[in-house]
Amino acid sequence: MSSYVAPLKDMLFVINELAGLDDISKLPGCEEVNAELVEAVLGEAAKFAQEVLEPLNRVGDKEGSKLANHVVTSPAGFKAAYQQFREAGWNGLGGMTEYGGQGLPHLVSNPVQEMWNSSNMAFCLCPMLTSGVLEAMRHHGSPEQLQRYVPKLTSGEWSGTMNLTEPQAGSDLAAVRTKAVPEGDHYKISGTKIFITWGEHDMADNIVHLVLARLPDAPEGVKGISLFIVPKFLPNADGSPGERNDVKCVSIEHKLGIHASPTCVMQYGDAGGAVGYLVGEANRGLEYMFTMMNHARLGVGLEGVAVAERAYQHALEYAKTRVQGREVGQRSGDRVTIIHHPDVRRMLMHMKSQIEAMRALAYLSAATLDKAKHHPDAAEKRRHQAVIDLLIPVVKAWCTEQCVEIASTGVQIHGGMGFVEETGAAQYLRDARITTIYEGTTGIQANDLVGRKVGYEKGVTAMAVIAQMRETAAASTGDLSAIGQALSRAIDALQEATQWIVDTFQKNPNAVYAVAVPYLKLFGTVGGGWMMARAAQIAQCKRAEPGADVGFYDTKVTTARFYCEHILPQAAGFRQTVVAGADSVLALSEAQF
Amino acid sequence: MAILVIAEHDGKQLKPGTANTITAATKLGGDVTVLIAGHQCAEAGATAAKVAGVSKVLVADAPIYDGWLAENMAALVLSIAKNYSHLVAPASGFGKNFMPRVAAMLDVQQISDISGVVSADTFVRPTYAGNAMATVQSSDAIKVITVRGTAFDPAGDGGSAAVEALAAAADAGLSKFNGQELTKSARPELTAARIIVSGGRGMGSAENFKILEPLADKLGAAVGASRAAVDSGFVSNDYQVGQTGKIVAPELYVAVGISGAIQHLAGMKDSKVIVAINKDEEAPIFSVASYWIVDDLFKAVPALVSELG
Amino acid sequence: MKVLVTAKRVIDPYVKVRVKSDGTGVETANVKMTINPFCEIAVEQAVRMKEAGIVTEIVVVSIGPLQCQETIRTAMAMGADRGILVETAEEVQPLAVAKVLKAIVEKEQPRLVIMGKQAIDDDSNQCGQMLAALLGWPQATHISNVTVNGDSAEITREIDGGLEKLTVKVPAVVTADLRLNEPRYVTLPNIMKAKKKPLENIKPDALGVDVKPRLKTLKVEEPAKRSAGVKVADVQELVAKLKNEARVI
Repeated sequence: MSSYVAPLKDMLFVINELAGLDDISKLPGCEEVNAELVEAVLGEAAKFAQEVLEPLNRVGDKEGSKLANHVVTSPAGFKAAYQQFREAGWNGLGGMTEYGGQGLPHLVSNPVQEMWNSSNMAFCLCPMLTSGVLEAMRHHGSPEQLQRYVPKLTSGEWSGTMNLTEPQAGSDLAAVRTKAVPEGDHYKISGTKIFITWGEHDMADNIVHLVLARLPDAPEGVKGISLFIVPKFLPNADGSPGERNDVKCVSIEHKLGIHASPTCVMQYGDAGGAVGYLVGEANRGLEYMFTMMNHARLGVGLEGVAVAERAYQHALEYAKTRVQGREVGQRSGDRVTIIHHPDVRRMLMHMKSQIEAMRALAYLSAATLDKAKHHPDAAEKRRHQAVIDLLIPVVKAWCTEQCVEIASTGVQIHGGMGFVEETGAAQYLRDARITTIYEGTTGIQANDLVGRKVGYEKGVTAMAVIAQMRETAAASTGDLSAIGQALSRAIDALQEATQWIVDTFQKNPNAVYAVAVPYLKLFGTVGGGWMMARAAQIAQCKRAEPGADVGFYDTKVTTARFYCEHILPQAAGFRQTVVAGADSVLALSEAQF
Repeated sequence: MAILVIAEHDGKQLKPGTANTITAATKLGGDVTVLIAGHQCAEAGATAAKVAGVSKVLVADAPIYDGWLAENMAALVLSIAKNYSHLVAPASGFGKNFMPRVAAMLDVQQISDISGVVSADTFVRPTYAGNAMATVQSSDAIKVITVRGTAFDPAGDGGSAAVEALAAAADAGLSKFNGQELTKSARPELTAARIIVSGGRGMGSAENFKILEPLADKLGAAVGASRAAVDSGFVSNDYQVGQTGKIVAPELYVAVGISGAIQHLAGMKDSKVIVAINKDEEAPIFSVASYWIVDDLFKAVPALVSELG
Repeated sequence: MKVLVTAKRVIDPYVKVRVKSDGTGVETANVKMTINPFCEIAVEQAVRMKEAGIVTEIVVVSIGPLQCQETIRTAMAMGADRGILVETAEEVQPLAVAKVLKAIVEKEQPRLVIMGKQAIDDDSNQCGQMLAALLGWPQATHISNVTVNGDSAEITREIDGGLEKLTVKVPAVVTADLRLNEPRYVTLPNIMKAKKKPLENIKPDALGVDVKPRLKTLKVEEPAKRSAGVKVADVQELVAKLKNEARVI
């Protein structure tokens, strides 16, 4: 059984060199952030992830959270770990400094989040949801609401949840039916919400639910949805949790993975209506949800990076210890560990190279999100906002789709033992499987990409990013020229496919949506190649410095080369599918299926 | 050259590591004097005189040496240190405590925990928890050395050294010994144990599993089990060693009736020495074992207990 | 009272140590480093004593290259108040460490020095004892408990096969064993605060201490690999092998 070791070297390389920590340190409010601080924070987080969260991952998977009489009990050890987690202040990593948070930028908080997710994704969902609630409050909460809820949510004494989905309203939130009836200074909420992650549990003193509901006079559809705070216990004047609100967990789902994370069916208003407080203005709830979307979707993309990393470490340890067969061409002599077999090598490289590319693209997005938030120059801020809006669906869907594939390869490396739960390889695959679904499925991400992000703006931002990619390809010369050429060909494919999307979007949107996912995968694949080529360039320069970690940099260059030889060629295939594959998707009538 | 070995003893007998330390001392080439310090320890002095290779025994018998306070022990050794080229003690809790004090007062860099003697000034010692063996040479006039007992054979009997009394040094008066509490053989915890005895499905039943206890007691070992034994209900699951149980790496791991499923091997393969007892000649556990016996465990285990004495 | 604690920077215990191919030592370049686990316990003890109101100030000292500042910051994030780095690129052996610390103790005048019982790199287990000797102070090594009452301290020491009770006069040097405490996880707010705590950087020369090594390392090798196993005929042969060949019983 492997144990998780945070890949600090690669994380710090990406943070410092690829994503550009120096630029982030120059942003207003980030002046304290420097390489030394980042190393200290990541080092301590790694310790916590490795020593506290990781040992609970199997326990959580085996035991799962349990529901009895509307009370959810978390798996053994989770409550104590959560207590340690919040006492160590980790809940406030990116939180607002005026309410007890540390205000660290995404480029610092996201790598830490990666570690939480690698070590124990199911646990990590609880603080992640809380940070989502905090993000919503930051933008739309009233001063009084901020005072009342944000300090406790920042410290982690209280946790938060997002209540969007209803049985009839999944990806289509226009169908939300939960009701909110005004009553004095508050509203009475009633309805059923499903898929509420950590909707009820025993780790925090109170749970703050953010609930989408309709006012009696609200217009139909998405423009008639409002956002409410519904606390499990109504806060007393002194801030302590008071009277129990009319909200309860009536069931928890039996799931493929993330067993420790209770996925709750929440019932509001069985006894006359749960007390809720309107956030911001009425009927703007969905719009408010969208303000947190980039934050939340980047978070799920990181889950993809994280679980893939964990699955890789697990498979690597197995490959280095499992003795089976002799080296190719040897008929006698010692049997060898399976890492000696070329195909096992290939699988490991496949995992490793993609994970590094995914991590780089995710952290680059984190840095872009920081710039979009904090850049003092309005034009720069807008430019970064456009880039991050474009990258988010790619990071979310591509990192999670690749994660599922990588976790599956992890099982494959274990052979028959991987199909047996005891080796632990299967858990990562099961846990990973949700990431392509929640917070907008891959299909929804791809539709967002080809529609709102590329189609409507006629590819302006996409082409600007492609131009940046071309600069990297052009700079890949000398020993790196093969990488540069492979990247150039892949960029050609991306550019042609993007042009096709732009040209086709107006006249035949159905065709565009039919090949949206292949286009998104093309974007991710080439984006990953872009990152690996840049990584190789930096590694090439850095390795010449005195005292350089030559081993790390050489490995990076080789890994980039593998990516260019094994992953990037897929770009041509995706391009072909995009520009010529839409017809067959839509050709059959429904009856022909 | 003259070598002084400071002996660890219980007032009557030498502690096991001391005989090994005397062997290390004899490898330095020179007369070996043994210092017995303690309170009412004359008998230990007589015992030391019988050890082969010892030419003289000094006995410092005084109440201030009860408990071997480091300050007083150091003062005693310093009172005669100049007569010797080497001061040697076992690298046990005993020697570790006062020897560096002696070295510092002599302005000497001590050589700790040696596992080999290359020459009178050059030694091998484990560093990084034994993962790197360093060969070091001392430039100090007097060598202050502690010895890893398990790296040397114990010196045998056959000596007839002269025994002399040594006057006690002044009481440093810095500290006071208030007694010891020695633990009665409660079994160590699995993950902290130096030795582990583990049983597998071959044990047959919960009742049979108990035959491992006398063996564990003899060895001062913790008791573990394979998952098969746990799943069969022989013992509770906190005994489980393996991929889904505890990961252990003791100095000695004795696997009894364990076939060696890969999940089990993953949990114990880093043990320094692995002994396997299994009646199946083909058991995979033998592939990682340092020593193995192909035999019925119900015969071999009791025989092993009696052989250990 | 003021307490001095020490914090050595060592290779992370979870990292597999690699002996350099030229046999000059172990590979430390670009290897993950951390605070020596026993030093961490020493720092934790000092912090607990401060939280209990016994200690008023904790000064943490590290000796080594500039990167030891990170180790000091870790100790300060745990709760030490200020740090002193004695910066040197040379190998500093235990006797020299003790001499450096003696000079600092004379300057800082702590009532108690808490150190780790040994560093997990060279495993010497000497510094605390040597420092106590040079200062003419009492020592208590391998402690699992310490209570300071005015001018003396009640100590429990870990000894082979049990525990030992001591009373030592204060000032004293004590060295921490594993069971003294379980170090806390550093909190995020304290990591941020540690950045602002004072950290002094001095050179051994300034303390008038010669840190030249006395032991010359001739070579460093990997330990002998476990040889292929052997089948033994009976328990007699087994016990003989375990005693004489493997030397584990």
